[in-house]
Amino acid sequence: MLKYRKEGDASFLSHREAMRAMERALRRSGLPLDFSEGFSPRLRMSFSPALPLGVAAEAEYLEVGVAGEVDPDEAREKLNLALPAGLRVSEVLPVPPNMPKLSRWARFGLFRVEDGGETLYLLLALSGEGQGRLKDAVVALAQRGMAAERPMLTRVGLYASPDEVFEDVRGKVIIFDGRTGELSEIEEEPDGLD
Amino acid sequence: MPPLIFWGYELSEETELFLGEELAGVTRPGRYLGIEVNAYRKPFRSADVTCVLVYPDAYEIGMSHLGLSILYEEINERDDAMADRAYLPWVDMQESLERRGIRLFGLESRVPLGEFDLVGITLQHELTYANVARVLGLAGIPLTAAERGEGVPLVIGGGPGAFNPEPVAELFDLLVLGEGEEVLHELIDAVKGWKSTERRERGALLRACAAIPGVYVPSLYSVHYRPDGAIESIEAERGAPMPVRKRRLTDLDRWRHPRRPVIPLVEPVHDRCSLEIFRGCTRGCRFCQAGMIYRPVRERAEESLRAWAWELVENTGCDEISLSSLNSADYTRILSLSGGLASEMGEKHVAVSLPSLRTDTFSVELAARLRRVKRTGLTFAPEVASPRLRATVNKVVSDEDLLSAVSAAYREGWRKIKLYFMVGLPGESEEDVEEICALVRRIMREGAHGGPAKGLRLSVSVSTFVPKSHTPLQWARQMSLPEITRRHFILKDGLRMRGVNLRWHTREMSYLEGVLSRGDRRLLPAVLAASRQGCLDSWSEFFSWERWLGALEAAGLDPSWYVERERPRSETLPWDHLHAGVDRDFLWEEYEKAVRGETTPDCRFSECSECGACSPPRAQLRLAGEAAP
Repeated sequence: MLKYRKEGDASFLSHREAMRAMERALRRSGLPLDFSEGFSPRLRMSFSPALPLGVAAEAEYLEVGVAGEVDPDEAREKLNLALPAGLRVSEVLPVPPNMPKLSRWARFGLFRVEDGGETLYLLLALSGEGQGRLKDAVVALAQRGMAAERPMLTRVGLYASPDEVFEDVRGKVIIFDGRTGELSEIEEEPDGLD
Repeated sequence: MPPLIFWGYELSEETELFLGEELAGVTRPGRYLGIEVNAYRKPFRSADVTCVLVYPDAYEIGMSHLGLSILYEEINERDDAMADRAYLPWVDMQESLERRGIRLFGLESRVPLGEFDLVGITLQHELTYANVARVLGLAGIPLTAAERGEGVPLVIGGGPGAFNPEPVAELFDLLVLGEGEEVLHELIDAVKGWKSTERRERGALLRACAAIPGVYVPSLYSVHYRPDGAIESIEAERGAPMPVRKRRLTDLDRWRHPRRPVIPLVEPVHDRCSLEIFRGCTRGCRFCQAGMIYRPVRERAEESLRAWAWELVENTGCDEISLSSLNSADYTRILSLSGGLASEMGEKHVAVSLPSLRTDTFSVELAARLRRVKRTGLTFAPEVASPRLRATVNKVVSDEDLLSAVSAAYREGWRKIKLYFMVGLPGESEEDVEEICALVRRIMREGAHGGPAKGLRLSVSVSTFVPKSHTPLQWARQMSLPEITRRHFILKDGLRMRGVNLRWHTREMSYLEGVLSRGDRRLLPAVLAASRQGCLDSWSEFFSWERWLGALEAAGLDPSWYVERERPRSETLPWDHLHAGVDRDFLWEEYEKAVRGETTPDCRFSECSECGACSPPRAQLRLAGEAAP
């Protein structure tokens, strides 16, 4: 599994275009890749849920099958040499055999919302129950005076459940409910270890 | 043209701010980023000579073009020069640029086009001529060469359109005829020398460039017309060559570009790497301009192509290599090259493909070995169906050739086959068009080794014959719109059957192509007016025949005079001062043979046809080795 960033100009690449760039880089890297069988073999890859155009990301994931041993640091370096500016692999991680598929666990996206004032975090279900669109959430934030109309947005993490976000952030986290259009603040469960 | 020094101000600054604010609001912003892998991104200020190469159409089309990628590397490999790239932005981005008053910029440097020394624009076909004016307008560069003064780039044209650029010739300071690799370096040297002189006088630079073989400086030639509208004479200023002769490379193995092609960020129309295996074609199809202007055939050596193919795969990570040329099955060692590459590359999951096929069993078997092609279907171009017209166009493919090719394809498992036909040829009757229907019906009936081709889907694509400069049919008449309409309806009636899908080119687009392909300098005001009114003819949604008609009328021009008139041999043609390597007398003899229905054999397999492209005869013909078994 690759963990990568998509920043600057590269945040204007569509999901499909970023996938293309990643596939090309993987093919160029010379890593032992796992291809599907058949007439036109395809690289076995799965990506994080699509990111809207213009939104940067600090922790996207890509799962790709390999057919052999891979040295994580070497792979990272090779890939970064073959990627367009703004797309950067930050970590190459082995996937444990019992790990669920990316599409199964990456259900919630956490977005950093910056407009020059106080930075806040927005949590959004990307699939399943309560799924919401980032655009609608930003409109809701602006309507309630919580952020400017066109803030800078960065997806900072992907999670299986809302409470996992506190492993990465400290601060105000607002969750948007796609069904009702409501915003509510969530707080870390006190676990007494802090 | 000297770089202007603004302290504390970068030429790209305005563009950067603009992109930051506008990118989120346009479709496919990836087109405008310039952060592609393998892009050189040379600093603008580091180069003695700055160039920007422009494809006057959308990014997705321009990024598929081999010619500019060759020149891009040639320039960037020099220490003293840099090349950036630009394309015609999509209409939403055009609107943003105009609204914000931002000039069109080079994608990598983000510097406005007007700040470069050289702006090179390729003319691939006539329906991009209005786009060229649009590009210059968006760049804020004065549209015509005559209006350009100090500090304005030299606007250079090239590509097949340079062989009759007359309708847009005055938009260019100069044009390059033929293959650009060598001449480009000579031009850059000339500009570099001129920039180091004290008085940088534009006229002096243009005269120096005109002395470089292959360079056409339109402002040094004047055209005089007769009262009946035809050309009286074309006169060159003292010192300007008459005619201007095209440039051509001889030993192609010494020229190996591109090696690290820029990888498009937005998916291009042809998403693959091209390996150019040879240039030129001497099949001698009389309607085909490429087959005349790029003579003779010059094949590259097989070993060097193989090594180059690997270099391309390693540098781009592409999953398909296309063996490109005007007719790849003709490459002398095609079996060994394609077979060898396909098996080596198969292990790396890279497919090898051929862009076009000849209409014969050999080609089908060749394609069958390159498995990947199967997914998309096969294409054949018989062009015409009646034996008489086959002789006229000098493309001798019999019904049996086509049937056996289709049978072979069917046997190999293909169920989707595309056939290209052409209507409107000189001497073509309506019965000749009905023969196309009969041939297609026969394929459906007998396409599987004499039996009905069950499940076969034939896509029949029909273009309109448009006479092109420097071809034997350059004197011929192009048919009127009603004549072409009748032909389309004959096909429509005759091909109503299961499994056959008929498509034809928009008639008015072909008609406009005909106006421009044999047009003269008087058309420029109409091109400019159409461009101002938003005609972007290569994008069908922005093509407007009504606007063009209005523009032509306002310029006092009758399109049918350009299109539907057969020219006598004695008439001076608008491109008679430009020499494409093939002699005018040879072309005329070929025209007469076309009318008589006589064929001319390919000089690779027969005697020299004395077309004039080689001197002495056959001297520049290069074949890669022994004929394939």
